[in-house]
Parts: sequence; structure tokens; C-alpha cells
Amino acid sequence: MLGIISKSLRTGTLTEADPFGGHASFGFPVMDFSRCTACDECVRSCPTGAIRAVPTTPDGKLISLSYASCIQCRACVAACPEQAISVSTDVEVAAYSREQLARTASFDVDPVTGRGTFRQVELEAGLSLADAAARLKERIRGRLGRSLHVRQVDAGSCNGCELEIAATTNPFYDLERFGIHFVASPRHADALLVTGPVTRNMEAALRRTYEATPEPRVVVAVGACGCSGGIFGEGTYAALGGVDRVLPVDVYIPGCPPRPQAILNGLLVAMGVREARVGTR
Amino acid sequence: MRSNAATVAAALQVPEEDIREGRPGELVLDVNAQALPGLADRVSQELEGRLMSLFASDERDQTAQFRLHYVWSLPRFQTFLLLSAPINPARPSFPSIAAKYPAANWFEREVMDLYGLVPDGHPNPTRVALHEDWPDGAWALRKDFPEDRNVPRVPGDHHPFRPVTGEGVFEVPVGPVHAGIIEPGHFRFGVAGEPVLYLQLRLFYVHKGIEKRFERLPWRHGLFLAESISGDTAVGHALAFAHAIERLGNLEVPPRGQALRVILLELERIYNHIADIGALATDVAFTVPASRAQALREGLVRTQDQVFGNRLLRGTIAVGGVKRDLLPEGREVLRTHLRAFGKEFERLIALLVDAGTFTDRVDGTGILTRQAALDLGIVGVAARASGVDADLRRDHPHDAYESLQFKIPVEDGGDVRARLMVRAREVEQSLEILDQILDSLPDTTCATELPEHLPPRASALGWVEAWRGPCTHFVATDERGEIARVKVTDPSFLNWPGLVHAVPGNIIPDFPVINKSFNLSYSGNDR
Repeated sequence: MLGIISKSLRTGTLTEADPFGGHASFGFPVMDFSRCTACDECVRSCPTGAIRAVPTTPDGKLISLSYASCIQCRACVAACPEQAISVSTDVEVAAYSREQLARTASFDVDPVTGRGTFRQVELEAGLSLADAAARLKERIRGRLGRSLHVRQVDAGSCNGCELEIAATTNPFYDLERFGIHFVASPRHADALLVTGPVTRNMEAALRRTYEATPEPRVVVAVGACGCSGGIFGEGTYAALGGVDRVLPVDVYIPGCPPRPQAILNGLLVAMGVREARVGTR
Repeated sequence: MRSNAATVAAALQVPEEDIREGRPGELVLDVNAQALPGLADRVSQELEGRLMSLFASDERDQTAQFRLHYVWSLPRFQTFLLLSAPINPARPSFPSIAAKYPAANWFEREVMDLYGLVPDGHPNPTRVALHEDWPDGAWALRKDFPEDRNVPRVPGDHHPFRPVTGEGVFEVPVGPVHAGIIEPGHFRFGVAGEPVLYLQLRLFYVHKGIEKRFERLPWRHGLFLAESISGDTAVGHALAFAHAIERLGNLEVPPRGQALRVILLELERIYNHIADIGALATDVAFTVPASRAQALREGLVRTQDQVFGNRLLRGTIAVGGVKRDLLPEGREVLRTHLRAFGKEFERLIALLVDAGTFTDRVDGTGILTRQAALDLGIVGVAARASGVDADLRRDHPHDAYESLQFKIPVEDGGDVRARLMVRAREVEQSLEILDQILDSLPDTTCATELPEHLPPRASALGWVEAWRGPCTHFVATDERGEIARVKVTDPSFLNWPGLVHAVPGNIIPDFPVINKSFNLSYSGNDR
């Protein structure tokens, strides 16, 4: 007993006053479209289809990069012959829709050389981050207050996201000080923190968990697979894909897996305490 | 090595020339399916073989046949033995060995579910991989089954649990969504008061079609998928996959790459073991060591982040070596951190084993006897805690392990305490290994150049003793040198039946701590 007390005294406080902030070179890929020649090397290198090229006309092309399915492997960074892709320092990435996690640019393609020239960044469909934030606040306003009870649901994850979600409860991050608490039953929960890809065999359980959660309820999708199916894809015989294929998702936290601070940030976004940011692009 | 083949041939009573050494440490014997049960007896009795994997492949486009593969570990010879038998699609069945070798039980049923090949004489030939709302004939791993097929649900999703009856006996269903932050699975307890009479599992809730997906991805992208088989074993599975590809493509990993792989694998072992030790303390409500273990784990994963660029060591393994070198500064950071970690770790274990409140809950709890572990074919930490002395790092050395000095800790108790102590001793051994290897990193490149294409119509086995136990990957290529089949075997698949045997006789409140002492992967099991 004395040993335990002395151990506790010697250890002191481990909890970080501010667990947030950037990490040099640990974020998401950022495409400098002005340097891009639309050669599609990055598209071929990407294992999850996070980078896509779509021909629009014989002399036009769209290239898009979506953090929703990015597993942060950096294969694109290595593959780009123009060094047009770098890695951001932003790790606290979240959004209110899949579209907000994507960035698309149009290119003019030279029909002889096939070389593309950057035309412009295209507007993504749907609400802006600010409008979506306001809408979510409106929906939960005054109902959830400054505390959030969370039921975590693994709907098909590889368990990498679970490791990082569990890490948010460790003494360094200590998410309970932010008013966030993991509860044992959906009946006690305000929010579902769902990892994916949603498998065929978990679809019914996920729906029933959602139905058991009292309104107003918030759904947060975690990880590349929860946001988009990730490396496992969407619409396979065994996996439906992103959580939004089954439930309405309020907040997306991309990453493979997202760091504990990113998960913490996403939960604060779901509470309306923070506004989602996708980061420098 | 030829003498190995001769001894094995004599024991199996087959001509020596029938056994070929496909690759170093991998003997291959093609047989007739009807001979499999007899051969299983001889492999088990004469050669002390242990069944590591059993699976099928669809080769109808090449040979008009299915093929069954049995992977036996022969530690005495430091080799694997792959028995392989063709199956005629017109008579889609094979003789079951599950009644005699329970390790084959789930494997054979999975072959039935995913290939439609029926194990004749299986004592319980019901579905294991597919839930009851899958229609008959959804043989997902057959080549004519498209990956994106939308399989209709059939009504009647009622898993046939075996009823447990008697006066005062009732059932407690738990899951698939659990109370903690863990993976999904269903446990059905038959209980009389608090003691558990019988435990039944229903898994495969997180079946994601990984083996099918490997066949659709370019082989260079396979590694990313391997890292996501079980997120806590990213290094183990990536390495097993890389080994298989390297053996298949005759690629030589430079010595520095091999040494760095050992570092990564041992770090993965330590960060998981320390998390499990902390979780055991959590499950008996002993909060001080639980919190200490969490802090130790977080400190280690942050150091991993700093040195290797990823908290969970994803993206570190490459086919042909490793992706990132360990620079001298990184080596110093790691060495300093591990030294402090070792001291703290020692105190943590002392805190646990000196506390009656802790030992009361773990001593004699959830016993898996040595005989049960042997009969069920249990592997890894769980096997070594039940007195089974098996570890691929010594029995089938890979990477740089042959040149390192380390012990394989074995405990006899078979209880939660034994599984805890095996982890604690393994962490100490891992620290020893890291100490040795950080001092002697060979001065070569980290990875070898990769060829444009893999050899066509080839196959190879890759294996790793990861932190939970052996991960094996069998990889075969098609006529273009792209991936035709990947069979992934996670140690969890072999060990879940061990949990079923360890729980009865214990009380329900002790289930979480028993379950945690095995800490099996649902995702690795279900794939």
C-alpha cells in the first residue's frame, strides 16, 4: 500500500494541459495543383483510391484527393515526379461531410503530349464547413450541453482505431476532463463513435445500436474505413463501406488510424465546442 | 537439408523423391486427398508436427481442380511441411481430420463456407465464417464469385446455439456490441448462478473479405492490406506477407533490413504486452498499475512515432526490407527510452505480483491445461503459458533471430497469472534482444530492389512469431505474376477455442479478465 502511494506521488501529473497541435510531417498529403501535370502517377500509387482522375472531355480532366479514404501511406508523395505532393502538419482533421474532405482540381490536357495544365480548384458539393457547423450546433443546441456520453461501436475495424480511441482515456490525453465519457450502453449515450468499414455481418447490430440511442444523437465516423471503407473498399460482398452507407454521419474523423488528439478534436467538434478544420491545403 | 526430406519421407512412408524442398524451411508433398487422415496421424505422431493452417485454393482455371493445403510445423526439423491435395469439383468433399485434430475444426468449416468443399465426417459441420442470413452457395473465395457481388440476405438469422438446460440454468447473451472499447463478437454463457457451465462463441462479425481483396489489389499494394488485418499486429502481418512475397520472388533482404525488422517486431511485442498487462489490472480494478501501464505504453508509442514516423509502426515494413532506416540519433532516442522503460516495467510487475488484491483474482483463474492446449493446437503466448514450448523465432528462425541470444519464457500454470507472467518475461527478453541488436546494426542498405513482376504460378509461405503468436501467410501467383491467393492465419483463429475451454468452472465476473489474458483479435480471426 505504501508502495502504491509513494508511486503515485512520485509520478505526479502526466496529463498534458494542451494535447493539441501540429506534428511536423505526420499529417495528410497536400497537392500543389499548380505543379501537377495530371500524369496520374499518384493515382496509380494510391492503394485506396483516395486520389482519382476522371476525364471530363477529350482535353479536360479532374483530379481529386479525398482524406476520407487516405491511409496516410505517402505512396503518392514518393510517386510524384513533379514533387507536387507534400505532407501537412495538420493532424486534427475533421469534417461534417465526405465532400468537405475532398479537394478537386480541373486540368486542360494537351491532346498530343497528354500533359495537363492546372485550370482551377473546383467547388465541392454540399455545405461549407462553417454552415455545416452551424447546422449541427442548431440541432444539438442546449440539449447535450458541455458533456458528451459516447458509445463506441466497432462495425468492422481492424482494431487500429480502437487502440487510438482507447488511448484518449490514458493519463496523457484524459478525455474525461473535456466532459467526454465512454459509456457501456447506447441507451446511456449521446453519441456513437463508429469505426468501419461497416461489414455485412455488423450492419444489423449497428442499426439496432443507433435505434437504441436516445435523440438527439450524434454519429461520428472514425478512420479511413469508417469515413469511406478505406483499404477494404465499398460495396464488396462482405463490407458495405463507410458508416454513412448505413447511418447519417455528423462528423468524420479521417486517418489510419487517427491520432488520439484527432479523435479528441473530432469529439469536441461533435459537441459543438470546436469547429471542424480540414487543415492547410 | 536433404536429410530432413529423407527423414520426413520415411516417417510418412512416402518415396523420398515425392517430397521437394519448395523453399528453404518449406517441404512440399502432393498427395491424394484420401491419404490425408493417415498422413495427419504420422505427421503428428512420428514427426511431432503441429497444424498451423488449413485452407483451399481455386485452381479450376489451370488444373480444373480445387486444392487443399495443410501447413504443419515440424519444429524438430526447423521446417514446415505443406501437404497439398487436389479436389475434383464434381465431388466437392474431403475427409475431415477435425475429430482427431481439433485445430482443424474451424479451418475445415471455413473451407466449406467459402469454397463449398464439404469435410466428410466432421463432428459439427455447421457454418463458422458465414452467418445464418447468408444464402447457401455464397462461396466467396471461388474465382467465379465477384468481389462486389451483392449477396442477398435470407430470413432466419438464428444462430443454432447448443441449449444448456437443467434446474436453475440460464443463458447470458453478450455482444456483438460490447461494453468497452473492443471489437465485436457474441458470447453465449450457460450459467448456474455465477459459475459458467458452458461458453459458446459466435464470431466473424468483422469479416471484411480480406483474402478476396488481396486477389484484387496489385501485389505492391498488398502490404497496406496486410497491415490492416489486425491493427495491433501491423508489423507482424506486414512482415509475414513480405516474407511470403520475398520467398516467392527469391528476394534477399539485406542484413540491416533484417535487423530493423527484429526491432520493429519486438517493439510491437512490448507495446502490446504492456497494454495487456495494464488491461488485466483494469479488469480487476487495480487502478494504479493500470494507469502506470497506460503511461508506459503511451510513452513507448510516442517514441515509436518519433523514431519510425508512426505510433503503431504502420508503414515501416517494406517488401524486401524496411521503409525507413534507423538513424544514429533515433537509435540513441530508442536506447535511452528503453533503458528507462525497463526499470519502470520491473517496478510495475513487482507492484502487481506483490498485491494480494491482484493475485487473488488471477491465480488459478481461467486454467487451460497443457493437454488441452496441445490437443487444440493453441499457439503463441497462450500456449507458452500452458507449458507448450513453441516459438517460431527459435523453431523456424526468420529475419535476424538466429544470430540473437534470447530465451523463450514458458509457464506451467495455464491460468491468467501464467499468461501475465509469460508476457512480463517476454518483455524482458525483448528488451534484451533490442539491446543486442541496437549495438550491432549491420552497415548495409535497408531494402532490396523489387522486380517489376513476381514469378508466375508460384507459391510460398511466410511466417512470423508476432506478439500474440504465429502469423502465417500463404501467397500464390497467377499466370501474370499477380496475386491469385493469400491465406492469412492469425494466431487468434487457433486460440479462440482455448478461451472456450478455459472459462467453464469460473464465475462470469472473471470472464473479462480471462478474455483479456488471451486478448485475441476479432479482426484477425474474421478477416
